[in-house]
Amino acid sequence: MSAHAPSKPTDINIPAGSLWTKMPVIGGVLAVVGLGSVLGMAGGEHRARAMFSYLFAFEIFLGLALAALGFLLIDTVARAGWSVVIRRIAETMAATLPLFAILFLPIVTIGYHELYPWTHEHDTVLERKRWFLSDGFFMGRAVFYFVVWTMLSLVMYRSSLAQDATTDEGARNARVRKLWAFAAPGIILYALTQSFAAIDWMMSLMPHWYSTIFGVYFFAASVQAYFAFMALVVMALQRAGVLKDAVTSEHFHDLGKYTFGFTIFWAYIAFSQFVLIWYANIPEETEFYVMRMHGGWGAISYALPVLHFFVPFFFLLSRHVKRKRTGLALGASYVLFMYLVDFYWLILPNFKVEGQPETHFHLVWTDVMALVGMGGAFFALFSFLLARNKVIAINDPRLEESLVHENY
Amino acid sequence: MSATTEATLPQDPNVRGDVSLDEPVKGREALVRGGHSFHEVTEMVLKVNELPVAKTPNGLKFGIALGGAGFAMFGGYIGYLFWMGPGIWGNNNPVGWAWDIVNFVFWVGIGHAGTLISAILYLFRQKWRTSINRYAEAMTIFAVLAASSCVALHTGRIWMDFYLFPLPNQMGLWPNFRSPLEWDVFAVNTYLFVSLLFWFTGLVPDFATLRDRARVRWRQLFYGMLALGWRGSTRHWVHYEKAYQILAAFSAPLVLSVHTIVSFDFAVSQLPGWHTTIFPPYFVAGAIFSGFAMVQTLMLPARAWLGLKDIVTVKHIENMNKIILLTGTLVGYAYAMEYFVAFYSGNEYEGFTFINRSFGPYSWAYWTMVSCNVISPQLFWFKKIRTSVAWSFVLAFFVNIGMWFERFVITVTSLHRDALVSSWDYFVPVTEVFFLLGTFGLFFFLFLLFVRFFPVIAMAEVKSVMPQANPHWEGYGHGAGHGPGQTAHASAAHGAHS
Repeated sequence: MSAHAPSKPTDINIPAGSLWTKMPVIGGVLAVVGLGSVLGMAGGEHRARAMFSYLFAFEIFLGLALAALGFLLIDTVARAGWSVVIRRIAETMAATLPLFAILFLPIVTIGYHELYPWTHEHDTVLERKRWFLSDGFFMGRAVFYFVVWTMLSLVMYRSSLAQDATTDEGARNARVRKLWAFAAPGIILYALTQSFAAIDWMMSLMPHWYSTIFGVYFFAASVQAYFAFMALVVMALQRAGVLKDAVTSEHFHDLGKYTFGFTIFWAYIAFSQFVLIWYANIPEETEFYVMRMHGGWGAISYALPVLHFFVPFFFLLSRHVKRKRTGLALGASYVLFMYLVDFYWLILPNFKVEGQPETHFHLVWTDVMALVGMGGAFFALFSFLLARNKVIAINDPRLEESLVHENY
Repeated sequence: MSATTEATLPQDPNVRGDVSLDEPVKGREALVRGGHSFHEVTEMVLKVNELPVAKTPNGLKFGIALGGAGFAMFGGYIGYLFWMGPGIWGNNNPVGWAWDIVNFVFWVGIGHAGTLISAILYLFRQKWRTSINRYAEAMTIFAVLAASSCVALHTGRIWMDFYLFPLPNQMGLWPNFRSPLEWDVFAVNTYLFVSLLFWFTGLVPDFATLRDRARVRWRQLFYGMLALGWRGSTRHWVHYEKAYQILAAFSAPLVLSVHTIVSFDFAVSQLPGWHTTIFPPYFVAGAIFSGFAMVQTLMLPARAWLGLKDIVTVKHIENMNKIILLTGTLVGYAYAMEYFVAFYSGNEYEGFTFINRSFGPYSWAYWTMVSCNVISPQLFWFKKIRTSVAWSFVLAFFVNIGMWFERFVITVTSLHRDALVSSWDYFVPVTEVFFLLGTFGLFFFLFLLFVRFFPVIAMAEVKSVMPQANPHWEGYGHGAGHGPGQTAHASAAHGAHS
């Protein structure tokens, strides 16, 4: 604990001329090129393959933005102090959620029938699922999710920006209390919408298959990736010359600890799902793993426990690694890469190549372009919003606590 | 909003701890009220422990006697079970698992709050845990003992239980290592031993305090042996802190693993209502939920009777109620998700099981479960209710009931209408109620003995979160400097790891 009250950080605006200020343009260009080429591909004979690439990239960045929202809500309810220095960055990430409503449109227009077999196939089981998997209800739910996410993220974001400008302490404290009251029920909305969005957009790719843990799986995977992503974004911001003293090794240590913790949590959820389905061996459940455990996908299935759990577990176990920028940057990049692999493995096996066995593994250029484009769109909005405001919630009553935060 | 602040809290220690303060927007509420010195904390915590045996308060005497009677009755019941066999239970085809397993899961679940408080809240640096962890850890150990006795008895031929362990024998018979029932043996035993070790490690400095203050020979010997030669040197504290952190890290996975494996007992089957992938995290959330409710049930009366309201304040109660609300809602999420997927799956048998649960012959049990576990905890959204001692007690009691019924609903309703309609049956317990009461006897007997002889609050840890432990603390009043020896302890401990 420090004996003296720390002074408020001053490097809180992204300096003009830094890469971050050019990012909206660069990101926009990447988005146009990347998504344009993928959607162009979707216009041709490879529509299904291109749209699977698109969905994959969409879920990757949606997962990060949603996890940022979840983090904010939980953080607020838990009255966390340590994280105040990075809160604005999380708020800005979450504030990109409305963008995903637009990015979602190609999925339900161009890709709708290509991605979701239940939209046009018929059999006894699918008929029993019509009450849930029907066009109108599916679209209605999607609208509901985006409305909820937009509402939650914008309230958190705007309220925090308003706090920056509030000089009166009483008014500020009242605002904080309001946010406390808002965030708690917000968690319920968040938990339900993110679970059902995962069921709708990812689980229903294989409409006969079901798993009650799927929503939790999405949560575990995306939150793990979010903490890694946050660590990397903060490092990049520090390079651009902001928050140099505000975010210390202590905060990176905590981000590393959360990445580590959610690595275990992801493995726990993934293992639970696998072992229960494997053990009971009921055909309508095992099809998910049968498809993924042979042929090209088999290698990924067997690699996931090792590369997505054991490797980051042992790497991030060390206190030293989490507290050093290079160590954490390496670990976080690796975790993010495995997040890509995991989601690729969840989504892509549902694409069937004609003339190839179900288990045929295929990586094509649209996968990369979709990621580049989606990332471009995300970073364009993220950096645009970030550069418009202070990168730290400068007026937060717990800022001081966060600045002097220490792990012991 | 009430204008009560820490400075204007009432003087009466019986009232002070129950006054709810406005949550500060900046800074944190003091965890211990009344501006006590370290010495006063010691006096408060050890008051009941240090009474001469003959002067044990009557209430406690009565409680121990009642618990002992329940325990003795349990012994008698076990003898009866030995003699007669499990035919004294209502278990019959198709309900082969009933109260034996329900009681086991109920008790082992309760234990989880103790481990969560002592390990996971420690790793999250939640300082408020120090006021409740000792208590909760003790609860864990006694609950796991009660659970073990249920699961050991459910085998019927109890004298054959050693076959559960992989002991070489002349029959060449090994346990089935592919069975989660076998994993349970290892999971529960590991849990018991690690929890015991963790609890004991935390107790060592407090035992030393008891030893140093003991006036009679047997106490000096008793606590002296338990204190393992603790002298409170800086080196001791350094080792202690390291050991504690490592044990916390080892215990943290146990919070998840034990009830996960218990959930596997059900979920690896193909039975609708048992086989569902959300079972592991759902069981863990339910376990923590039931455990916190039991901590409340035990703690709320004890803090009043033992005069510990300044240490276990309404803030602690409120925090626990928030966790009860959170985990209760998580359990509600799992109920809803199971229900949803039963119909989403398009599987008729899944659908039937859930319709049967909520509208079949056991619907009364199902709705008891839903009301107590999901609906009534929602009252904790209101600050008035979650900061009220009476409400907390009542709602925690409901949770205890609801969580027992949850296990009953899962176990019995899934079994009683199986795939062969001609074998459907309605399970009715016969003598099982004595089984359940017996485990309560065992639990309360041990728990009240613990309250009588061991410090129920982790004194050394509570002192470390008091303002005096801060190296920059200004001292008692004007220039009083540091207090006696104990201050040096805590400062040394703090200095050693900061």
